[in-house]
Formats: sequence, structure tokens, C-alpha cells
Amino acid sequence: MSIRLLALIPVAAAISLALSAAVDAVALPLFLDTTGTILATALAGPAVGIATGVVTSAVNTLRNPTFWPFVVVQVIVALYAWGAARAGLFRSFRTAVPVGLALGVIAAVTSTPISYLVFGCTTTGGIALTTALGKALGLSPLGACFFGSFVSDFGDKAVTFALVTSVLHALPRRTAARFPWALRAIGVA
Amino acid sequence: MTRLHPFTLLTIAGALPALAWILPAPSGGLAMATLALGLTASRGLRPGLWPAVLTAAPFWLFLLLLHDVPTTIAIGLRITTMVASFVWLVAALEPARLVEAMVAAGWSASVAYLFAATLTAVPMLKARAQRIAEAQRCRGLSPRGGIASRLRALRALALPLVLSALHEVDERALALETRGLRPGIRRTTLAPPHDPVVERTARWVLLLACPAALIWRLL
Repeated sequence: MSIRLLALIPVAAAISLALSAAVDAVALPLFLDTTGTILATALAGPAVGIATGVVTSAVNTLRNPTFWPFVVVQVIVALYAWGAARAGLFRSFRTAVPVGLALGVIAAVTSTPISYLVFGCTTTGGIALTTALGKALGLSPLGACFFGSFVSDFGDKAVTFALVTSVLHALPRRTAARFPWALRAIGVA
Repeated sequence: MTRLHPFTLLTIAGALPALAWILPAPSGGLAMATLALGLTASRGLRPGLWPAVLTAAPFWLFLLLLHDVPTTIAIGLRITTMVASFVWLVAALEPARLVEAMVAAGWSASVAYLFAATLTAVPMLKARAQRIAEAQRCRGLSPRGGIASRLRALRALALPLVLSALHEVDERALALETRGLRPGIRRTTLAPPHDPVVERTARWVLLLACPAALIWRLL
């Protein structure tokens, strides 16, 4: 791995963790905690994306230890984003947003068993409340758990994909060309 | 406790939650939670016990909302063990000592760099996000209104933050190259943390206790 790609990993992980400040400023129910993973994958491929996801989870764990078991979701997000980058699906919002919505479903399916078996569906306040809503609507415990994860992940991953698409298109071409996957991800190479 | 080898601290913080999950509930979870809370209390009330209790408390509330009392106690004790162990770890573990220990143990300096660089970059980028938010507000950006206007505001806040961070990658790469950080090169630590035989043995005992407890539960 080149020094530039090594330097990208902590920057991308820090982006994932620092974006919470921007989300707080606009008071939207989003996490954007996979932005760095998706961005690093779209710029530099799956190895850098997975490393970014693992580092993000590890550092996030020091803030809230319940994040660590969800490192699996970060790895799956990186692999999925690699597929999207290979297919050039970051070329526009029209292609990126549906791909992000599909990732929301995949992330919810992946995180539900972890949340159910390890935490009894009580990972964060918002998700626990939507899970309680699902239970009140008559869903089974596992169904309510999926409902909670789905509500939080579906929109979040679509916004994340849209944001990464904006970043990739806003990058000067000369800067983008320094990363091995950036131009292919936006469909110009 | 802070003088323990960083790998010993990590092993304790990893083994306690693992055993809380493996050992029968609620007695296993209660024993591990008591141990973990005892460790956090050893760091003092304000930096240790209170953050652990305050972080774990909402989980108990949500568990009660979703489950019956025996399940709440079983899962709550496990989560409390996990939270208390990590709160204790964060209070006891100095990142610089961990990096030294990793390099001394033969880990690549690149791996150590990844964690240390992320830990230092997060507060820097958060402060920058705050400055960008203030600057955009001065230019008339309103983070209120409907979802569409909030998303537009989010883009105006996030895009400069991410782009400025990406522009730093080259500077960081140059700095790393000038310091000789190339993949595959072994480095010598100036002051590697002391790692006595007793601690190494204790780490192995703890690491072996987890699969042993799992086999005992399964049989």
C-alpha cells in the first residue's frame, strides 16, 4: 500500500466521526458514520475501504463500546461500495441514491442479528425507540428489531452515497487522478 | 493499573465482556459487571464510575421498554460489563504507550500510525466542522426548515469539511515519507513499556479462559 493511501485511511475514518458535528448543526436523524468507508473505497479500492471501516469502528468504540460488534457492517459497506465504484455508479445522484437505498436494506439486514443477539435491540436511543414502535405495531421481536435498523439505515445510506458522489465530483480532476479508483467511480475512466 | 502493559489492559477489557456473554446469566454477568465496575471505580468517581454508569443507564431503560425483567437483567449486565470495561480502558490506556507497545511487539509502524493519527484527527476535524458551520451561518445559511432545506444545509457544511480533509492527504503522505514511515520497515522504540512474565502469563490465562468457558457452556 502506498504512503498516500496509508495517509488516506485515518483522514477518511476521522471524516466519518467528525461529520456528526455537521449533522448536529442541521438536526437531521442521520449518522453518516460510513461516509469515510464509502469515500475511501470509491477513491482507493476495497482494502483501503475495509481498513477505514475497521479503524472507524475501533476509534468509535472508545467513545461508545457498543459500536465494535458492528464492524462487520463497515466491512460489508466497503465491499458494496467497491462494487458500486467498479460499476461507475457514483456518476450522478440518479444512480447513487438508489444504490444507497439498497445499501440501507443490506445494512439493516446485517445489523439486525447483531443488535438482536448482542444488545437485545438497544444499541442507540433512536433505534431503540423505533424498535419499541415496531413492537407496539405488533411486529415480532426480531421484526421490530429489523424495523428499527431499517428506519435508521435506509435514508442514512442514501444520503451518505449522495454526499460521497458530491465529494467525488467536486474534487479537482488532478487530485482525483492521484487515487486509483476515483475516476472510474464517477464513470469518466 | 495505568502501569500495566497496554496489551494487558486490552486483554482485560476484551475478556470481561466476552466472559459476561459466555457465562450463565445472570450470575456470570453479575460477577463480570461487578469486576468491571470495580475497575472503573478504581479510576475515581468522575473519570471512571460515573461515565460508565451514565453510559449504561439508557440501555437498561430501553431494555425494560422492550423485554421482560429477567431478559433485561441478563442483557443489561452484559452491556454494563462492556461499557464499564471500555470506560476503564479509555481512562487507563495512553495511546502513545499503546503505539510503543505495538511497535516493540513487531507490529508494523503503519498500523500503529492508523490509530494514533485517527485519534488526533477527529477533534481537529470536529473543530473545523464547527468553524465551517459558523462561517456558513454568517453567509446566511439556515439549518432549519423542511427536510430538503436541511439536506442542502448539510451539503454546504459537509462538502468543505470533507474536501479540505482530502486535500491534507498529500501533506500527510509527504510528512510520513520524510519520517521514513514505509510499509515493511521495522522501527526501534525509544521506551518500550515493561512487559513482565507475570503479565504475559495472566494475558494467556485470560485469553484461554474465554474459549474454555465457551466449551464448558456448550458441553
